Amino acid sequence: MARARKLERKPVFAVAVTAVFFAWLYLPILAVALFSFNDKKSLSSFGGFSVRWYDDLFHNDALLDSLAASLKIATAATLGSLVLGTMLALGLERVTSRRGRVIGAVTLLPLVTPEIVTGVAALLLFTGIGLKLSMTTVILAEITFSIAYVTVIVRGRLAGIAGEVEEAARDLGCTPFQAVRLVTLPTLVPALIGAGLLVFALVFDDFVLAFFTTGVDPQPLPVRVYSSIRFGVSPAINAIGTLMLVASALLIIAALWVPRLFHRGSSSLDLITGGDRR
Amino acid sequence: MIRRPGLELPRPSRRGLLTGGLALGASLGASLTLPGCAYIRDDVPIDKPLPPSAKAEIDGDLVYFNWADYLAPSVVKGFQREYGVKVIESNYDSMEGMYAKLAAGNQYDIVFPIAKWVVKLRQEGKLRSIDPAELENADQVFYSGSYFNDPWYDPGSKVSVPFTVYKTGIGWRTDKVSTMTNSWKDLWNDEARGRIFTLDDQDEALAMAALLLDYDVNTAKRSELDDIKDLLISQKEYLRAYSSDDVNNMTSGDAWIHHMWSGDFLYLREGLVDDPTKFDFQAPSEGVPINSDAYAIPTNARHPGTAMVFIDYLLRPENAVKNMNYLYYPFPVKDALPAFADLAKDVPACNVEISDLENENVFRLLGTDEVQRRAAVWTEVKAS
Amino acid sequence: MTETATRPRSAQRTSLWGWLLALPTAWMVAFFVSSMVIIVLLSFGRTTNDGYPAFATSTANYRAIWNEVYLELFLRSLAYAVATVVISALIAYPVAYVIALHGGRYKNALIAAIVVPFFASYLVRMYAWKALLSDDGLVNSALRHSGLSDGITFLNTPQAVIGGLVYGFVVFMILPIYASLERLDTSVIEAGKDLYHGPVRTFFSVTLPATRAGLYGGALLVFLPALGDFVSAQLLGGASTYMMGNLVQQQFAEGQNWPLGSALTVGMMAALTVLMVVYLRATSTRAQES
Repeated sequence: MARARKLERKPVFAVAVTAVFFAWLYLPILAVALFSFNDKKSLSSFGGFSVRWYDDLFHNDALLDSLAASLKIATAATLGSLVLGTMLALGLERVTSRRGRVIGAVTLLPLVTPEIVTGVAALLLFTGIGLKLSMTTVILAEITFSIAYVTVIVRGRLAGIAGEVEEAARDLGCTPFQAVRLVTLPTLVPALIGAGLLVFALVFDDFVLAFFTTGVDPQPLPVRVYSSIRFGVSPAINAIGTLMLVASALLIIAALWVPRLFHRGSSSLDLITGGDRR
Repeated sequence: MIRRPGLELPRPSRRGLLTGGLALGASLGASLTLPGCAYIRDDVPIDKPLPPSAKAEIDGDLVYFNWADYLAPSVVKGFQREYGVKVIESNYDSMEGMYAKLAAGNQYDIVFPIAKWVVKLRQEGKLRSIDPAELENADQVFYSGSYFNDPWYDPGSKVSVPFTVYKTGIGWRTDKVSTMTNSWKDLWNDEARGRIFTLDDQDEALAMAALLLDYDVNTAKRSELDDIKDLLISQKEYLRAYSSDDVNNMTSGDAWIHHMWSGDFLYLREGLVDDPTKFDFQAPSEGVPINSDAYAIPTNARHPGTAMVFIDYLLRPENAVKNMNYLYYPFPVKDALPAFADLAKDVPACNVEISDLENENVFRLLGTDEVQRRAAVWTEVKAS
Repeated sequence: MTETATRPRSAQRTSLWGWLLALPTAWMVAFFVSSMVIIVLLSFGRTTNDGYPAFATSTANYRAIWNEVYLELFLRSLAYAVATVVISALIAYPVAYVIALHGGRYKNALIAAIVVPFFASYLVRMYAWKALLSDDGLVNSALRHSGLSDGITFLNTPQAVIGGLVYGFVVFMILPIYASLERLDTSVIEAGKDLYHGPVRTFFSVTLPATRAGLYGGALLVFLPALGDFVSAQLLGGASTYMMGNLVQQQFAEGQNWPLGSALTVGMMAALTVLMVVYLRATSTRAQES
């Protein structure tokens, strides 16, 4: 099948829509970044260039604690969901029975459940067991929600790997376990890195789940931002916002780009859209 | 068709449904026994005995639970530096949220409940007593003849130390609206139609309507609640939104009239805007809700000693002044009050006399079904 | 090669992988499934006098939701979610089309440029909109400066809420449509152009049906989270834009009525499941027709 070639005429209308879309998409981001350097304590008029809000931020222990909490939660959740998600992906890809398909569907449920429902569910569960809300409960909830993403991405990659390579390894004397460890997993590394970075960014920025499951420990950054938003935000939020945007951006760019290092010629978006299978 | 895992959901087959059903059933069984444990409870007895007061000595870091941005950062930093402890901060965005976290067993060293929640927490034995004799600066608030020796919400002042007092009124743009009548009816002002905000707070909103109808602000009578509901729904065509972000709504130009807390208005006018003359505040003649917050130490606090030291530290007049200059709310710390009078001199309507606390427009503790009736009204108002 | 195993190789493999499935499945059951079950159970519960939720066997909560205000609220949320899907599709198609078929070597960069902001701090971007669109904010100031208008009331309207929802979820429509456009053989479109003599006709008769799968997937991925969202309505909404998500959240925050909140959640999930089943049946029969 031929690859998509550039078509003859440029569709003017569609290009215009795209241009407007990008402008619309980036306007608040630029505004946040711009006003984070605002000398005035205003969100509507620019007074002069100043880094006072960043200075405030770096001396604000509460915010720094929240930042640390967010990082810890994101790291733990990423590791947990990578392990569980990969196991699930490997299992689902090879188990073709109907039971496997049902499990597959159940694991996708978090993706199509409105986050508020998952948040409520997690809250009720933890309270019901008597587990005190804390960073641990946030991590547990985030892992549950993120497994689905890892599974989808890893399965996408796995589907492209012919099972024959593994068969060949087994024919050469490997146990099934060795085959997985020495053949399959290394091939999965780009997908794992990509999925890991994606999940990290998602969890770092996640608000709804964290809102319902956060406890005494320093609240994750998005929850703190939300509390401030309800009662009035100080421009220091713009500074945090800009930093969060930059950090997440770097993570996502890495997530899309790193797999390409291992796999020349593949689209960076194969990660999310399931791979080029032509 | 190219198979794309992730966007393809398998069609449920009979076998699959059966297996799924069995699995669900098994989980149901498991759920009833294990994770549901904490939901098997009875009603609790009221008026539990009071755990004794802690001594005012440092016994660890302070786990602090308060509204966001409700203390001057310089004061908190000063405390950390002077005593060499950390302040670990969590925030709540509603009293109910605070209560829920406490009820769920989270351990905080110091909380800042609103008056009626002091009553509730005390009744349920969730607060330990605070002995003023332990606090060096106790006489700043508990001087002879002080109202706070026996406030309505804490008889004998056993479990709380007053934090701040405030009233709720209406803030408005003098350059946009000229037809204010010093009444709650101004929240139905035609000139500012579509630019009016009501606080996103159940008690405040219901109280505002109750005062207009000459009902008690705590009313839970069905007929009165129905009237309140109709009144609030009639406001919706004038209303822009329900929001507690009063300061930003006023400064962004979105609000011409805002149901507002006195301290927030003072902060807006004196501490924020370029042109204070564009803003004014009124405490409507029908009566205004008066509220106060207090320091309290939960029974399950891990470091109650540090909490006591913290309270003492905040009662020092110089720290109270710092807090007032940051929050623009009055702190009933004797030697600091003149500073507040100075702060509020341009807007006398924002001044709160301690004697105001003795009036009837305070939010009192209500029974569960009364609260749920009021909550149902508020939900219907917001949802319609 | 001799068969050393007592069972055929494929069965051996299946049992290994079956074990591999066990741990994550157990996790999912433990957390996700059982928590869902608790929601259902608690929906029949009550609140003790110290404000704590407790199991009971009362249908009071369900009776409380069956009133016209809540039903109207559900319909409103449904309407907002559908509007979000439609607008997202209207935006996603041109954007995905341009990038997939005219992007050339900038394709990946363009898609990354779309994906990156969507995964970066939703709350902060929404709050930025609130500041930008306020009556004295940048957008209105610019409009007044340029003489285009006296100032438009953007915020606190249903349009603002829907705009916020689209802003938050349109990426989930763009990606699937982009993916299916990428796989499309453009010679089909070329042939269509020859056949139908017009870009619009070609689109509706050739491109749209061919990328149907992406559209259906995207619609689902946008509709479901939009329906349960509460952030957009809370930050950008007005007095009459309350959504289902706000209602549920209120019961767990201010309202402190977990059993009622659970009942609302169950109601919402039931409605969603029905809608989803109907939708999947409809779209898969359509797909089989093609």
